[in-house]
Amino acid sequence: MPIGLQAEPSAGVAGKKRWAMVIDLRRCIGCMACVAACKAEYDVPLGVWRTIVKVKDTGQYPNTKRHFLPRLCNHCDNPPCVRNCPTEATYKHEEGYVLQRYERCIACRTCMAACPYNARHVLPNSRTRVKIGGVVDKCTFCEHRVSNNLVPACVQTCLGRSRIFGDLNDPNSEVHKLVGGMPTVTLKSEKGTKPQVYYIKPAQQIVNQIYSPPESYAAKSDAEAFYRHNKGRQFFGGVL
Amino acid sequence: MNKHFPVSRRGFLKLGGSTAAIAGSLGATRLHAMEQDQGGKDFSPVTGKERQAVPYTCMVCNIEDGGIAYIEDGRIVKLEGNPDHPGNRGKLCAKGNSGFLHVYDPDRIMTPLLRTGKRGESKWKRISYDEATTILASKLREVIDRSIKENDPAIRNEIVFKWGRNRTGGAVHRFMHAMGSNAMVNHTNICESSKKVGLEPSWGPDIESCDWTNTKYALVFGANVLETAYFHNPNAQRLVDGVVGNKAKLVYFDPRMGNTAALADEWFAPYPGTDGAIALAIAQVIMNEKLYDDAFIRTWTNVTPEQLIEHLKPYTPEFAEKESGVPAKDIRRIAREFATTKPATTFSYRGPAKHVYGSYQEAAIHMLNVITGNVEKKGGYCLPRGMNFNQPSPKPPAAKVPSALGAPPQYPLASHAVSTHMPYQIMKGEEKVAVYMTYYDNPVYTYPSSHVWDALLKDEKLIPFYCSFSPYMSETAELADLIIPDTTYLERNDPESMPSDLRPWLGIRQQVIKPLGGTQEWRDTIIQTMHKVDPDGSLGMKQYFAFKNGEEWVRAQFDGIPGLKEDGGYDYLKKHGVWPKYGSVDPVTAKIVDKNGEEVQPEFGLHMKELSAADMDGATIADNGAIKKGGKTIGVRINGKNMAGFGTPSGKIELWKASYVKYGFNPLPVYKRLASRDKKPDELVLTTFKVNVHTQSRTASLKYLAELYHKNPAWINPKTAAARGIKDGDLIRVTSSVGYMVTRAHVTEGIHPDVVAISTACGHSAYGRLAQLKQKEKVAEWALGGDPDIDHNVWWDDKGVHPNSIIKLAVDPIGGSQGWYDTVITVTKAQAGDKYGDVKSSLEVSIKDYEETLRFAYTGDIHKANHKEVQIDWDHLPEPHVGAGH
Repeated sequence: MPIGLQAEPSAGVAGKKRWAMVIDLRRCIGCMACVAACKAEYDVPLGVWRTIVKVKDTGQYPNTKRHFLPRLCNHCDNPPCVRNCPTEATYKHEEGYVLQRYERCIACRTCMAACPYNARHVLPNSRTRVKIGGVVDKCTFCEHRVSNNLVPACVQTCLGRSRIFGDLNDPNSEVHKLVGGMPTVTLKSEKGTKPQVYYIKPAQQIVNQIYSPPESYAAKSDAEAFYRHNKGRQFFGGVL
Repeated sequence: MNKHFPVSRRGFLKLGGSTAAIAGSLGATRLHAMEQDQGGKDFSPVTGKERQAVPYTCMVCNIEDGGIAYIEDGRIVKLEGNPDHPGNRGKLCAKGNSGFLHVYDPDRIMTPLLRTGKRGESKWKRISYDEATTILASKLREVIDRSIKENDPAIRNEIVFKWGRNRTGGAVHRFMHAMGSNAMVNHTNICESSKKVGLEPSWGPDIESCDWTNTKYALVFGANVLETAYFHNPNAQRLVDGVVGNKAKLVYFDPRMGNTAALADEWFAPYPGTDGAIALAIAQVIMNEKLYDDAFIRTWTNVTPEQLIEHLKPYTPEFAEKESGVPAKDIRRIAREFATTKPATTFSYRGPAKHVYGSYQEAAIHMLNVITGNVEKKGGYCLPRGMNFNQPSPKPPAAKVPSALGAPPQYPLASHAVSTHMPYQIMKGEEKVAVYMTYYDNPVYTYPSSHVWDALLKDEKLIPFYCSFSPYMSETAELADLIIPDTTYLERNDPESMPSDLRPWLGIRQQVIKPLGGTQEWRDTIIQTMHKVDPDGSLGMKQYFAFKNGEEWVRAQFDGIPGLKEDGGYDYLKKHGVWPKYGSVDPVTAKIVDKNGEEVQPEFGLHMKELSAADMDGATIADNGAIKKGGKTIGVRINGKNMAGFGTPSGKIELWKASYVKYGFNPLPVYKRLASRDKKPDELVLTTFKVNVHTQSRTASLKYLAELYHKNPAWINPKTAAARGIKDGDLIRVTSSVGYMVTRAHVTEGIHPDVVAISTACGHSAYGRLAQLKQKEKVAEWALGGDPDIDHNVWWDDKGVHPNSIIKLAVDPIGGSQGWYDTVITVTKAQAGDKYGDVKSSLEVSIKDYEETLRFAYTGDIHKANHKEVQIDWDHLPEPHVGAGH
């Protein structure tokens, strides 16, 4: 498969593919099947996540509400991680994926600092079965499955069929129809990253809260334990 | 417009002209919502090689979803839903996705173990399966020989088998009946038994199967469908389809806001144990306002609308508001909506059922579907569909003498037994045990007042010999004398069927890899054991275990299934995992469709199916229309037609239950105010709950799930907390009449102010190192070992505190359910010296609770006082007799 260091964005380019994901938040039930499926697919170690579902409670009893927000790499069309990678380990695939070449990665963490979504992590060396560690890793949109005509693992197992995947350039694709026809938002679009993960109908307050520090004891104590165990880490991907 | 137009389910068409133009331009061409294949294959992200795929049936929980295991170099690396499976339609939940971690749990027991120290001292000698089955066989033989010598078949009942999760397709019963023992103790009364006993006498089966996808109104009581409850994965998929895709309204009752409340259009938090009052008030409104289905009630039930109107008189919405806190105006509105929106369905699970008198609450909710005629309708409340498979011939005859163990005669209606009573019966000398065996069971963790089980199993006089088949060192297994570890569910053979879809299916479990490290599946252990109990066949037992191995045993079970052989028999199942194949899952709608994209419709109206001439051959018709054959009701004649009817003596839905009134219970659904409803103002009600990523006790050792959920602080309302000076995260003491626990407060707006909720997922004192956060300790010599990820990367440092020990034993005198949500507590800030995780409870108090709860049984003095309205001859209730409970 052809690759380029910084392939030109393929969105809207005739004859090219542009993989994208739509997440219909009306259908997300926070079941965490995607999280577990992703962990298994890649032998993702504890303490790092390629995808996670954030849970937020709002309101006052009895008018309380719960919200879910699945998170993953946005496979941006203007990816700051790619721009900032000094070794060309991170690159933009011509079909839209933002991918990582382990053999070129020096784990300098520049890409992690550049990513406004905390979508990247350093792979611990201690893993269950895959012997790759000490390099930066991230969601690949399951490029190895997609290139074999399969949906990503998280989409495959999504109980609510909240995650929808496809080629944005295909006018008959569901993602094309949804992005064209439904009110969708992308995360931190003001950063100019041109994210390619689209959310249907999130409440603005929830989007704002995703990046806010944890509030409850349950969440704060998890974050504290995480930072105690992972000294120097900047981001905790926990659920709450 | 093509009905498969993909975006319709997302409300896309509502957007107006521009969207319609897009749609219009597509004409009748069928679109593919997801152009990529959904699954059925997987590839290694490292090597790019296709992973080997082997189908199986899940068993992380009890729903038995179909799956495909992906294998790389002999190791299971990934699980996925079986795309051919009508129940889970290619998808697995978080637990199902993580199930392969059971296989590679570093603390998995890899060899039989013989106790060398004191019970519970964790001193073990590794022995072979051959040695282990020899020991077990000799213990079993001792009992059998004594029974023969004393010519007393009742002695065989000293061989006791207790299970928590029995998915063996009848193998446990075969094993026990072959030896002549009836002492089989299940776990159902800590699960959902009063739901079953609320339903079975009314319409036959023990569960409903809702057509969520096609419903327009779902009224759900205490069933957190989107996280747990029965059929979580299949039901969650269909409920989302119904609510988002079909614009159904979801109204949800639960004192705690779980994820189902998150999706609900309306969430109400009733006082625990008052669902029945709400359901009865809804029924009253429907009946009084003549919104009921007159023809259905008159044709298909054993009551009249007039009878129901009279019976429901006391249950006004105002009465229900007083009991439950749910406003009367909402109850009225919901009643009208439920009755006039078609089709509609209710669903209920442990919330209403797990109380003293939970059977009445379940029966009240069930009645709502009957009076509105939503039974067996598309989009309504349907009978469950499943498939049967038999044990292969020759089959051992049922054991002769009934056993009262875990099935006390004071509970004649509890058709799923009363397993919580087992330790008390033994401690009081009512029942005797010689050999105690456990299988997928961990009562020292999972039962109410769980300390009682710990005390029982530590007493070598009461339990002289205990053999566990657990592959994990659970709180219960660590008290065993002998452990003969089973394999995991991915390394064993079983037949399966569950009503997870409106189309019945048959599935298998098979060894997707060779059992790890020389472990052997339980079926093999039983075959070997029985060949040693009866080596020359002279006891007549060996003949029932003439199988080479577990696979041969299961293969024989499939021989007699009509139609399977033509499709390839057992080998078809080995290849495909599930049978029959109804069609493919449509990526647009998730419906099962044929080659032309048309939905393969499930059958509805099963009760109206006409009986064949062969069915009617030799049948007689009773005065009430019941069609009888061989002493059983096989259908009902209605308007001159012979129909299948419902599984009751009359063939109709028996809202009026003769079996209940026989023992002084109200034959119609009623509401009984519980002691917990009369708690003092400063007291609270303790409830427990499951979360979406854990089962009751077996998953705290699975790292992906433990990472997601590992601690269980007590949910408490901000007002309730403030009144006690408690802040979020504070150390608190939760005190019941049984004892107290020290945990932390999770102050949240998502809970009723009179309720404290604690998840049962966490707080292990055994079950391997990860569940106890002892992963830095050395792995035991008998264990698998070897997950560097767990050794180095576990970042959480709180394993939670388990609440079951302080929960009071109190059972429903009808269905036998444990009243899990009836324990009254006080909550204070922790006292000086209290440490997080402290749990203290009293054996003496629990024994008194046992005596107290027996007073509610039909033989007890409280029973009559609580049923003054029942007009029967109270002086001549039937005598209790052993065996009725089995």
